[in-house]
Amino acid sequence: MIPNLTPSQRAGAGNRPAMHDLALIGFLLALMGVGFRRPFVFVLGYVYIDNVSPQRLSYYLLNSVPVSLIFVALAVGAWALVDDKRDSRFAPRQALLLLLLIYCGVTTTQADFPLDAANKWSWVWKALAFAIFLPLTLRTRLRFESLGLFMVLSAAAIIIVGGIKTVVSGGGYGSLNLMVTNNTGLYESSIISTVAIAIIPLILYLRKHNTVFPTDWRVNLFAFALIFACALIPIGTEARTGLVCIGALLVLALRFAKRRFLYVGVLAAAALIAVPLLPSSFTNRMDTIKSYKADQSASTRLAVWAWTWEYAKDHPFGGGFDAYRQNKLRMELQEITEDGSTRNIETTVTTDAARAYHSSYFEMLGEQGFPGLVLWLLIHGLGVIRMEILYRRYRNRPADKDQWIGALASALQQAHIVYLVGALFVGIAYQPFVYLLVGMQIGLDTYAGRRAAEAAWRPLGGVQASAS
Amino acid sequence: MIDNFSLALTHGLMLLVAWRLIFRDDLDRESDPEPDPEPKGWGRKPPRDA
Repeated sequence: MIPNLTPSQRAGAGNRPAMHDLALIGFLLALMGVGFRRPFVFVLGYVYIDNVSPQRLSYYLLNSVPVSLIFVALAVGAWALVDDKRDSRFAPRQALLLLLLIYCGVTTTQADFPLDAANKWSWVWKALAFAIFLPLTLRTRLRFESLGLFMVLSAAAIIIVGGIKTVVSGGGYGSLNLMVTNNTGLYESSIISTVAIAIIPLILYLRKHNTVFPTDWRVNLFAFALIFACALIPIGTEARTGLVCIGALLVLALRFAKRRFLYVGVLAAAALIAVPLLPSSFTNRMDTIKSYKADQSASTRLAVWAWTWEYAKDHPFGGGFDAYRQNKLRMELQEITEDGSTRNIETTVTTDAARAYHSSYFEMLGEQGFPGLVLWLLIHGLGVIRMEILYRRYRNRPADKDQWIGALASALQQAHIVYLVGALFVGIAYQPFVYLLVGMQIGLDTYAGRRAAEAAWRPLGGVQASAS
Repeated sequence: MIDNFSLALTHGLMLLVAWRLIFRDDLDRESDPEPDPEPKGWGRKPPRDA
């Protein structure tokens, strides 16, 4: 990956780039070293690289080395050679992911824009394939915990930067500097807003249930400071999607609030206090959620969605990745001005072309057609349902009898629902971070199934039957 | 400055996780769950993989 640094930035940074690069390389080598002792750490290393892309933070040393490829090869190799595979199960949702992977591969060969489609395919297949692989490695509670910690901490590397800069400068749409300026991966403002809100339930879970860092004042301090930073990300990036995600999470939290009226009252009071403190550019931008008819970005979305629906009717199997590039949109913007007693409606017509989908649901429909959309909905919908089943099954267990499974299932479900709400307005159907969540859910499901089977009471006859 | 603080903090914590995993044998193998105390209901069939 090419770093986005101007020559003056490179020159002005003096010796620091070298130190910076050496530290990142040292970090990766340390992970690799531990990996040879504990092979699961290779999986964690890949998760880290996938989220943080250290090669993009690097000035010159790392960006010529395929670190991602090295770690994934080590992770899969170590699993294949030394890991215990008796406990690995292949779940129905892994089959669905595999089906989606194959289907996307086929549509890529038939795509309307072969070059662009091949470009997107080059990272989508990795995200899907890793989500299929990941559950096979998740065999112990500690593996779930360390995976959760790595997901949260690697996202935190970006979120803490964004949170502090928002407090210091107030941020701004497209102007909050999250270390990397090329606006891809987790560094893109709408994506980091969605992910930052989605991981809040996971942070709360880890604060209470992880055994790597048992709960104490330091863990609490870090967890709540990080949650605060997460909540600041939608404000700093001024991505409206983030605000919608916060709303979704607050509604979900109602389910667990012991005193619901008090909870709603505190929320309303907090909102009243917070709104005057928000930067005015933020409140102005959020106001456009109401006046979407006068807002080009929102009108474009509606126009793109209408276009996609018509396109899908003609191309039920989709147009392959990036099929949106052929759209040509014509939008009417209405601005209502009130002048005394008269109300003027001013209509302006604008045109646009090759607008992205701005919604994962329409992204799936336009690119992969109805079969792709159905597969995608099944993968995500089943995840939410399965986590609900696990939550109900385990929530009342004693703490030493796998109660954590219920808590983790609930956290993963909430994260997933926040993502599905955010995905309504952003094209992030294949966001690799989300597929880590999906992989973790599948792993938790098969893990719980296996533990339950191992613990089940067996009559003597049953044991004999299996022996014969 | 802010960037380096965030990178140092999060990367330091990830290293600490990795370091602690070295000493945790339950990363790769954990004890079997305690068997359920009693059968749930009469005539319950044993699990399929029993």
